[in-house]
Amino acid sequence: MKELVQLSVNGQTHDLVVRPERTLLDVLREDLGLTGSKRGCDLGACGACAVLLDGRPVSSCLTLAVEASGHEIVTVEGLARGGGLHPVQEAFVEHGAVQCGFCTPGMLITVTALLDERPEPTEAEILEALSGNLCRCTGYVKVLDAVRTAIRRMRQPGLPGSVAPEVRA
Amino acid sequence: MSDYTVVGKPLPRVDAREKVTGAAGYTADVRLPGMLRGKILRSPWPHARILNVDTSRAERLKGVHAVVTGRDTAGLRVAFVDTPRYPADEPPLALDRVRYIGDEIAAVAAVDAETAEEALRLIRVDHEELPAVFTAPDALTPGAPLVHEADYPGKTIWEDWGARGRPQSEPVPRQDNVAARTYVEFGDLGGGFAGAHHVREDRFEVAPVAHAPLEPHAAVAFWDQGGKLNMHVSSMGIFYKRFVLSKALGLPPSHVRIHKSYVGGAFGGKIDVFPYEIAAALLSRKAGRPVLIELSREESLTTTRMDFQATVRVKTGVSREGIIAAQDIQVVVDTGAYRGTGPVVIFLCYSYNIPVYRVPALRYEGLAVYTNNPVKGPKRGHGAPFIRFAVDSHMDMLAEDLGIDMVELMRRNARSQGEVMPTSGDVLRSCGLKDAIEAAARDGGWGAKRRQSHWTGSERFKRGVGLSACSMFSGSPYYPFASAAVLKLADDGGATLFAGTVEMGQGSETTLSQIAAEELGVPLSDIRIVSGDTELTPIEFGSFLSGGAFVTGKAVRLAAEDARRQLLEMAARLLEADVRDLEARDKVVSVKGAAHRRLSYGAIIAASVKQASGDPIIGKGYHKSVPDAGLHPSLSTAKGRWTEAYGFAAQLAEVEVDTWTGRVRVLRVVTYHDCGFPLNPQIVEGQIEGCVSMALGQTLQERVDLREGQVFNPDFLNYRIPITHDTPAMVSGMIHSQEPHGPFGAKEVGEGAVSGVMAAVANAVYDAAGVRITSLPIMPARVLAALDAARARGGRQEGR
Ligand code: FES
Ligand code: FES
Repeated sequence: MKELVQLSVNGQTHDLVVRPERTLLDVLREDLGLTGSKRGCDLGACGACAVLLDGRPVSSCLTLAVEASGHEIVTVEGLARGGGLHPVQEAFVEHGAVQCGFCTPGMLITVTALLDERPEPTEAEILEALSGNLCRCTGYVKVLDAVRTAIRRMRQPGLPGSVAPEVRA
Repeated sequence: MSDYTVVGKPLPRVDAREKVTGAAGYTADVRLPGMLRGKILRSPWPHARILNVDTSRAERLKGVHAVVTGRDTAGLRVAFVDTPRYPADEPPLALDRVRYIGDEIAAVAAVDAETAEEALRLIRVDHEELPAVFTAPDALTPGAPLVHEADYPGKTIWEDWGARGRPQSEPVPRQDNVAARTYVEFGDLGGGFAGAHHVREDRFEVAPVAHAPLEPHAAVAFWDQGGKLNMHVSSMGIFYKRFVLSKALGLPPSHVRIHKSYVGGAFGGKIDVFPYEIAAALLSRKAGRPVLIELSREESLTTTRMDFQATVRVKTGVSREGIIAAQDIQVVVDTGAYRGTGPVVIFLCYSYNIPVYRVPALRYEGLAVYTNNPVKGPKRGHGAPFIRFAVDSHMDMLAEDLGIDMVELMRRNARSQGEVMPTSGDVLRSCGLKDAIEAAARDGGWGAKRRQSHWTGSERFKRGVGLSACSMFSGSPYYPFASAAVLKLADDGGATLFAGTVEMGQGSETTLSQIAAEELGVPLSDIRIVSGDTELTPIEFGSFLSGGAFVTGKAVRLAAEDARRQLLEMAARLLEADVRDLEARDKVVSVKGAAHRRLSYGAIIAASVKQASGDPIIGKGYHKSVPDAGLHPSLSTAKGRWTEAYGFAAQLAEVEVDTWTGRVRVLRVVTYHDCGFPLNPQIVEGQIEGCVSMALGQTLQERVDLREGQVFNPDFLNYRIPITHDTPAMVSGMIHSQEPHGPFGAKEVGEGAVSGVMAAVANAVYDAAGVRITSLPIMPARVLAALDAARARGGRQEGR
């Protein structure tokens, strides 16, 4: 009945025995204690549970743990490296893009994935990328401001908060 | 400009770092050893008599630790409103009836969610379906099925606080489905209408909408050895929750502890004490283990309250110059299967409307009606959105009738500083309403854009602008009536602030810390805040009733003032100087004009502990929302003091109507909010932007699709809240009016600005396309139908 899965989460490998119908979100939250990923809808509609799977954002509530076996997963807990925040996290803090914070982990994952893929996205691409991340608090204005700032920062490594690409990988 | 160094600055939130790293703990993130998962069995019937609930098979299932039903609640009833007139009417678990689809029947705690769900399927409910009513007009028809056959007076929560009780303790049979009524009349109504130059009457309808916070509701309960109940809850006011939970479980309030959890958005939807919370406590007691109940998105959207379905009728008589002479308003709301906040919302429609325009003669009637629909509760604005939608749409229509510009009409009737509110006696000590109206009109390009629907040059796309105004109180008498705060200075000159506030996104941990830092003369980073825990913090009024910044903020300022006074007195002794000659800044106290005579805060604090019989420096402060009011004002007559300060906002919307598809696109919303003094402009802006976004959802797209008591869109795919693509350009400005009673002059922000958007958009749609939509949401089908009707009749048209 149960299956053996090997999840590599935020650079750490876990061998787990799980029932095949369990979602990645459940296993992250319940078995690994990584509660940063949020359960907002359990339906793939809100983006609060987004994680990176081999660098691409996925809804962990729609991903089975067995599907994720053998892949590299990054959750919000894995974004900050070496004691400092990721530039996207920094920009969110600075711009007041965080209110209740429940959508924030998913937003950060989506934005990080977007900027890794397209370091200079157009406005339309930013709107599109975030269109699956619901936020009831901010009205998105400050979130979008934060994303624009993060883009500038990451482009110009001299500015505070920017990181060299190899650190980001 | 102020010379403050911490307040008034757009400083980053103190909780942001925890939130961006995933470290912030919300209720569903709590993990305790042996913790069980709870699930609720809910009624699939809108109205039924419960004959028997057989839980024996569920109890025998492996992994099930406890099952509870109405038998475990001893006839208990709870409710947000629990007064002698409106006694609590909601059993946490069904006693003999269920009254809406989703009503709680039983609850199960098991080792995991799957087992708990399986157990629910094993519970057998013998029942008999009853006739049901689903609309307020049907429910008001003589002979309609009664949703409640009796009221159960008993002893109410308010009697503990001095409200006069009813001698009656037997159930009082009910004759109709009227759950509550508010009636207000003043001035010469007949004379006002008779003498008016022009009278018109309009009717508006508002669909129910959901709060839809991103965090679904959740509760964790565990009992300690001493018989104390501990809980983490999705809350907006922990002392209120503690009080109601203690009543519900028959415990002294001190035997209930609410622990800190961050709250993932609430918007009014998390203030009530819900049956699932009581069920978690009962299950935990029975199982002897911690229990987590996490509601699904569907349960959150259908069983934890939603906003009211409302019908508003407005009749106004005006002079030739557009001055209001008399007004007659009736509001009817469907309050659902239990009263919820029905009695409050019909009262609030009166009291949110009254501070906006001067009305010499008024008749106001509000009716809350029981139906077999889900229960309604406060949602951001709590009535203000629909009363303001109705009244300011109506004002726009009056302006056109009279040939007076809407800005001018608003300005002529708008209230100003110093006015006293009828019935409550509330005084507008600060009022930036007219300034807000003018600023919104100016920044929105009113003069250039109004009545220029063809400016796009397109036959298909028409643009227009519309305007509206709103008001919102800052804190009101309600349990626990007051807030207190404690500021404890630390060895290094920093301080820990203890305040009961619940951080649910509004930024209270930050603004309260800013107030303490400013008053104490230290940077924000020197303040640590302990909040959201009933055991660790003094009483707090609650992060609802828009009282956070105003009431708790004042308490925090007083606590910091108290600590600072003690600090300076100690310094005066040490420096052998007069207190009046001292100045404190950058964590150093020095003698004015003799800068070498100085001591660091740290040194003074250490000296205080060493020398003054071990006294640490601890400041305390407390503040009441309405200091001279004993109890809450009457919900049925609106008499009695209500608040010390009202915030105001004016909002302009610019829209583009696609006359082929009926789609309305909002291009720009300009808001000017009179929040007294912005304690943190970035947070104020964020609050306004959130209000605007939520209001646009309600205006254009959101509607709980309720048919025969069943919600047909209980998920985020079908209940669509605004997304990035729906975000218009927003201009969010602040009017500084310096409220004398607020901390640093601050008052309400975060709720008011949700209320003007609907009328502003509806008025803009009329400006653009000549069709008047009087039912929310303004969906394409409604716009198209109105456009077709207009074409058929050849002109501008009223539509529904
Ligand atoms: S919880 Fe996965 S998308 Fe909402
Ligand atoms: S910050 Fe609350 S949902 Fe986005």
